[in-house]
Amino acid sequence: MPLLAALAVALCTTMVLVTWSVMGGFLDMLLDSGRNLIGDVAITWPNSGFAYYDELGQMLQDDEMVQAWAPMIETFGLISLPDGRRETVMVKGIQGPSYARVTNYKDTLYWQPLDKPLRTDPHSEDWRLTHHDLWENRYEQGLSLTEPRIDRMGQLVADEPAVVLGIELSGFNIRKAGGWYMPGVPRKFNADGTEEAVDVFMPNSRITLTVLPLDDKGRNIDVTARAFPVANEFRTGLYDLDKNVVLIRLDALQNMLKLHEAQRVIKVDADMPGTELQPESFDQPGEVLTKDPARVTAVIVRAVDGFDAITLKARCREIYAKFEARHQGDVPAQTAIIMSTWEDQNRTMISAVKKETALVLTLFSFISLTAVMLIVVIFWVMVAEKTRDIGVIRALGASKTGIASIWLIYGLCIGLVGSAMGGILSYTIVTNINPIHEWMGNALGITIWDPSVYYFSSIPNQMDAFHAAIVLVGGVLASVVGAALPSLRAANLDPVRALRFE
Amino acid sequence: MSQSPIIHAKDIHKTYRLGRVDVPVLRGASLSVNTGEWVSILGASGSGKSTLLHLLGGLDRCDRKPAGSIAFQGTELVRLSAGAMNRYRSRSVGFVFQFYHLLPELTVLENVLAGAMVRHSFGYLSLKKAMVSRAGELLEVFGLSERLKHRPAELSGGERQRVAIARALINEPDILLADEPTGNLDTLTGNAILDELAKVRSSRGLTLIMVTHDIATARRGDRLVELIDGVVGEQSPLVT
Repeated sequence: MPLLAALAVALCTTMVLVTWSVMGGFLDMLLDSGRNLIGDVAITWPNSGFAYYDELGQMLQDDEMVQAWAPMIETFGLISLPDGRRETVMVKGIQGPSYARVTNYKDTLYWQPLDKPLRTDPHSEDWRLTHHDLWENRYEQGLSLTEPRIDRMGQLVADEPAVVLGIELSGFNIRKAGGWYMPGVPRKFNADGTEEAVDVFMPNSRITLTVLPLDDKGRNIDVTARAFPVANEFRTGLYDLDKNVVLIRLDALQNMLKLHEAQRVIKVDADMPGTELQPESFDQPGEVLTKDPARVTAVIVRAVDGFDAITLKARCREIYAKFEARHQGDVPAQTAIIMSTWEDQNRTMISAVKKETALVLTLFSFISLTAVMLIVVIFWVMVAEKTRDIGVIRALGASKTGIASIWLIYGLCIGLVGSAMGGILSYTIVTNINPIHEWMGNALGITIWDPSVYYFSSIPNQMDAFHAAIVLVGGVLASVVGAALPSLRAANLDPVRALRFE
Repeated sequence: MSQSPIIHAKDIHKTYRLGRVDVPVLRGASLSVNTGEWVSILGASGSGKSTLLHLLGGLDRCDRKPAGSIAFQGTELVRLSAGAMNRYRSRSVGFVFQFYHLLPELTVLENVLAGAMVRHSFGYLSLKKAMVSRAGELLEVFGLSERLKHRPAELSGGERQRVAIARALINEPDILLADEPTGNLDTLTGNAILDELAKVRSSRGLTLIMVTHDIATARRGDRLVELIDGVVGEQSPLVT
């Protein structure tokens, strides 16, 4: 019976701790991933973008709170994959090096040399373990989003802008049980009903990207399509991004979206000085050439360690106000520009996850009360079974407090053993949750963690020591509380009746 | 044997309540036992023998009205606090029961040490070595030195009762209270146990109060006290 009680404590602590680790880990990953993806703060003006971003960047960089900044364009597009499929994607125009200073872009580049196999790759099957030179090139090309253009004679003609795709986007990579990827050979179905194998390794391929430049009123200017080599693929661990995002060199996207620096021709109407005329009416003298600066839709900023995103956001707003004062009318007003942290951008989802975590924990904690009730019942029965022994101990001189403390200490020991068992079991489950989940999927056809629902491609597998301490101490306390009532009963037994108990 | 009473009970009453009915068990019993004396309390079943023993041993308290008194070495037990009563039981009194009442999960040695653990509480840890040594000596006296690691279930009835006596003696009490110590044993084993008790009493100068319903067993004492319907009746000294 004591083992049964310890088992109940172990199972309840395991249930709560695994839930808290996974849900809490999910929340932590969600919060942490922001810094890795957009830095701490994003200054955004969608669609038409804003100019003089280099100047804004320099002003930001001069501030003690700012570690790095990077310009970025975000838009939607369509890509055509080598097997003919077309996918709608989110396109991000970035400057590799500056983007890498704000985010952890370098680490997310998937095809880069690996010095030692992953813990989950016991047979060293990962391609990245060999041909280090090849992967080093891929890594550099991914970082600069540039690929050399070689002519038919094998001569380098020029460097050309390249794209980096999310690892899940093409569908050509197979995720292995250990969480690493191998290029697969998927089947392509043709219109005539035939099928063929598509042997594609994305970083050796080209895709066609189509984007829709819009003017500042949101009207379509033109549809632009261009073929790009794939320099590398990235893996953030956020399924949504890995499935839907294409990174492209900033200048290439600026050109495609007509956000690049350009000369503007203004004809001055002699009758109405300063009036800008439409190009088709350029038939009068007084032509003026002016430069339209390049624009981006966002500037992302990373804080120096020790400053949080909220503080940085406030500082960015102050800096932007000065920037706006310099370019009054040419840039969005400080009151209008969107300034957000990752948490701001995902407030609804983060709030939902927080509430869901709290709800699940509350429910499971209530369920865990059954362990307390089980201990009450088990101890009650044990006290009944040991009535005569309690009488003997009282006859030997034990006090009521002494008798109660024996049972409470017993409850404490059961709590300690149960919690220790629960702690070990939880740790084993949490740290191996992805292989376990993989096995469940393969053997039983059960998929609990669908990455398209839960955002991340892998289940959080870290156990927070503080959370573990709370749950395990809770398990011990629950056992002591469960033992309290039977302890009182034992203490209040009449020793004479106890000795005569049969 | 000293002529001064170690324990003196005077006009004690004890009534138990069974459901809605009050059942008087002791109706003004009085008894005085001298230091080193072996008193056998003889009586039929339900005469109040065990109840009297429990009251003398501080396991229970006598009725407040009508007021009686039990004095141990001049100290009135009725007035003792619960804590003082616990100390009285652990230091001055040793109990031996008819059904041994050994703790089945513990070994022979641990059963004997249980009394010392209860008496010394946390202090037991510092005294453990001495207590283990004393328990070993007691068990050797009772011929159980080879059975220290055995569980009670592995012992015969006589051996179990010897362990129970050793447990009662571990704290070197002044009085040994034995409730039908041979009631669950065959005559031969019972006599052997009585011999052991007699030996222990004489060697340690113990006062022994023994309850029995068997006249032959009762005759092993120095004095025979008959309890009839909750009142001490005839008391007769015995010549051994």
